[in-house]
Amino acid sequence: MKQMMRNLLKSILFMTILLVLMIVVTLFLMPIDSVRKYGFVNASNYEILSEKENTIDAIAVGDSLIYSGISPMEIWKEFGFTVFDCATQGQLIRESYRQIEMAFKNQKPKVVFLEANVIYRDAKNKPWYYDYQQLIKRYVPFSNYHNNWKKLISSLEHHNANFSKVNVYKGYRYVNNTKSGKLKNYMKYTTKKASIPEENKIYFDKIVELCKKNQVRLVVISTPSMVVWNYKKHNGIVALTESYGIEYIDLNIDNALNINWKKESRDEGDHLNYLGAKKMSHFIGTYLQEHHLAVDHREDEAYASWHHAYAVYEENLE
Amino acid sequence: MEKLLEILEELAPDVDFKTCEDLVDGRHIDSLTILSLISEIEDAFDVQIPTVEIIPANFNSAKKIWELIERLEEDN
Amino acid sequence: MSYFNKLYAFLFLPAVVFLYNIVPKKIRPIILLIISYIFFFMYSKKLVIFIIISSLSIYWAGRGMRKLNDKRDEKLKQVEKEEKKAIKEKYRTYKKVILILTVLFNFSFLFFFKYLGFFTSIVNKISSLINVSCHFKIVEHVAPIGISFYTLQAISYLVDVYHDKIEAEKKMFKVMLYLTFFPTLVEGPITRYAEVNQSIYEGKTVTYDHFCYGYQRILWGFFKKMVIADRLNVFVKTVFSCYMDYSGLTLCVGAVFYTILLYMEFSGTMDVVIGSAEMFDISLPENFRQPFFSKNISEFWSRWHITLGLWFKDYIFYPVSLSKPVKKITGVIKKIAGMRVSSLVMGGIALACVWFLNGLWHGAGWKYLFFGFYHFTLILMGDIFEPAIVWLCSKFHINRQGKSYTIFRIIKTSILVFIGELFFRAPGLAAGFKMVKRILTNFHFYGFFDEIAFLGMDITDYIIIGLALLVVLVVSIYREKKISVRDKIKEKLIALRWCIYYALIFTILIFGAYGTGYEPVAPIYADF
Repeated sequence: MKQMMRNLLKSILFMTILLVLMIVVTLFLMPIDSVRKYGFVNASNYEILSEKENTIDAIAVGDSLIYSGISPMEIWKEFGFTVFDCATQGQLIRESYRQIEMAFKNQKPKVVFLEANVIYRDAKNKPWYYDYQQLIKRYVPFSNYHNNWKKLISSLEHHNANFSKVNVYKGYRYVNNTKSGKLKNYMKYTTKKASIPEENKIYFDKIVELCKKNQVRLVVISTPSMVVWNYKKHNGIVALTESYGIEYIDLNIDNALNINWKKESRDEGDHLNYLGAKKMSHFIGTYLQEHHLAVDHREDEAYASWHHAYAVYEENLE
Repeated sequence: MEKLLEILEELAPDVDFKTCEDLVDGRHIDSLTILSLISEIEDAFDVQIPTVEIIPANFNSAKKIWELIERLEEDN
Repeated sequence: MSYFNKLYAFLFLPAVVFLYNIVPKKIRPIILLIISYIFFFMYSKKLVIFIIISSLSIYWAGRGMRKLNDKRDEKLKQVEKEEKKAIKEKYRTYKKVILILTVLFNFSFLFFFKYLGFFTSIVNKISSLINVSCHFKIVEHVAPIGISFYTLQAISYLVDVYHDKIEAEKKMFKVMLYLTFFPTLVEGPITRYAEVNQSIYEGKTVTYDHFCYGYQRILWGFFKKMVIADRLNVFVKTVFSCYMDYSGLTLCVGAVFYTILLYMEFSGTMDVVIGSAEMFDISLPENFRQPFFSKNISEFWSRWHITLGLWFKDYIFYPVSLSKPVKKITGVIKKIAGMRVSSLVMGGIALACVWFLNGLWHGAGWKYLFFGFYHFTLILMGDIFEPAIVWLCSKFHINRQGKSYTIFRIIKTSILVFIGELFFRAPGLAAGFKMVKRILTNFHFYGFFDEIAFLGMDITDYIIIGLALLVVLVVSIYREKKISVRDKIKEKLIALRWCIYYALIFTILIFGAYGTGYEPVAPIYADF
């Protein structure tokens, strides 16, 4: 019994010290700026938090279709607008909601583009522990920041301990393979409507409310994808957006961007590659211009960092 | 026993079989030598060594090998 | 659920330990069995039926052989000495029939799941070559998890029962647990019934000390896997998939890195597996014994994936080399060419069988067969030229036990292993040869640093890997000298001991290669 008590005490002590050490180490590794302001959040999922306040004109929220399809740096180069991809792999709509919520914390974008595909993604298809995993990720920031030791080393060299993670790609993930896509029945006309999971309808409603409250225009958008998208899904989204009076742009219809599926997909018609993303980005820029949703920041001193980011981006492209 | 030591010395002249106690575990004799040893023993003592008996414990010293032979002879 | 899943180590395992401790001692093995089946089910769902069939088949076969033994002994009592031999012979034949049928039965599943596709493709090729118009559809099936491992265990059980090395188990669940025991299920080690049957069914309470001791080993495994193997993964993957884009030097580095990755991944898994079993006071056989200190290839294979090597030695090598046909051939050769040649032929035949099967065991594919053939050749050459090398050494006054010569042999062996692993990892046999050709024809230092700069590792990554490997090396040297690092840590004061643990934990947490930008190595041996 005595032995048992001792062992128990020992374990508790061990775990307590471990916890204290963890917090200390975490503080060293955290991106200090954003933490001070926003508390413990998974900043690698919310990279927009490291952007300077009120500098982003538009955000694009969604899954891999977004981060493969929209390259903000291309838009910057051509139009001088600032767009940010708040996109994560296999994003659920409740995460999209949180992305928008987080983005509004330090940004006042004029428009939110929401990828329509997340409206169909059913949370039930995720493994049972998915929610817990997300929860742990949110409150145990280790998994997101541990790699900052590299920056810590370089910051010691340069006497500069500020290493908020500014993403020079602004959320875009550069991939330049080509695997041509072929699909006979791509966007074959039908009047059928795909059904949307109940939970997602609730979250869509919440997103609409959130945007309304912040006076931000919400645009639902469908990135060109042969694999993911079809006419049934199109009809479902048309019905949904009409009921709210929200704009819906489906770039799959009549191949609006004139995507050459032989050259401009990275994985057989599923995602766009760099060439495809250039077209999509051009479209987004044009949209912002036509609707007067953004002004050219290229001459603005406050946006100098975007020029640096572009230089890095351009270098990495080669 | 003498006969066995003769065979052993012929097969691996470098090893001191009188004292060595980890012939197999210490890699003093390899599996090819064991094969030769088995066929020599089978010829010389007229026994059959079943494969289950070929384990390090039975071949780690000359004494152990001798014990094995005696045991097999009894079975016959 | 991989053994490196955080859920396995920090949720599943503690939960199992807790459950195990609160139930009465008697039903603890049954709890282990149920949990093992749940574990299996999580991987392979309804394919669980196959491991049940295998378990039942070997259980009944064992019982059958045991009954035959009893009958034989009864009969032996009644008869005169002269008839005894005939009776023994007769029952041996009965038992052999049971043995062979059950072994074939179990092998048929393995064949169906792993080799059917490969062999139909060969048959198709042959039939198209000789213009016979028969074409079979190639069917690929998802195999039950661990089938390559548990089938070998099942066979070892059968053969051991057949030879009366162990007694056939009376309780069915014990045989089932032996095949399914969750730590060893996915990647081994391949255990023998005699080795584990004591501890696995004892149901000892998990003590605080065992619990901590187990976690210590598990952490060590995580360290090897997450800090070293996962960090090398992107490099290795890129080099091997686009090998035509890289110079010979980079390909060499890729082969070395892959070998390190494989060693760290597999031995790390074994650390987690053995650590898990240690918690229940079950000691599993070690699968690695500092393989990169080997002086020749044959020694390497007695230190790398030990349990597989021993299985082949006991159930293929000796039975084949001592089988009647082989003995007959070698008997003739012995008379003509002498002892040495005959034992070389004897061993050579058996070795060829072992390495053919070893290659095949790793996977149905030409590159694995080549991998087996490569190591067979190396080992056989080593045996054949052994006297010549001894003679050369004495001629040039080289001390074979000397330090420099030993280091030379160790380096030589490692290089041979790297080449083998290059084929092992290459996308196919032809690709493997292309890579070797590139190494030979396109080897230059020019542009090397530019090339490796884009392989996902920067200078800090190399430093981390270097330091981590240094730690592994130091531990290996201690082990080689038969000094237990774990005992050493135990002797230390509690403060120092904890510092070591914290250091290990934080090394994994901070320097582990996980999260965005990394891709963990998938369990390599689970696919074999």
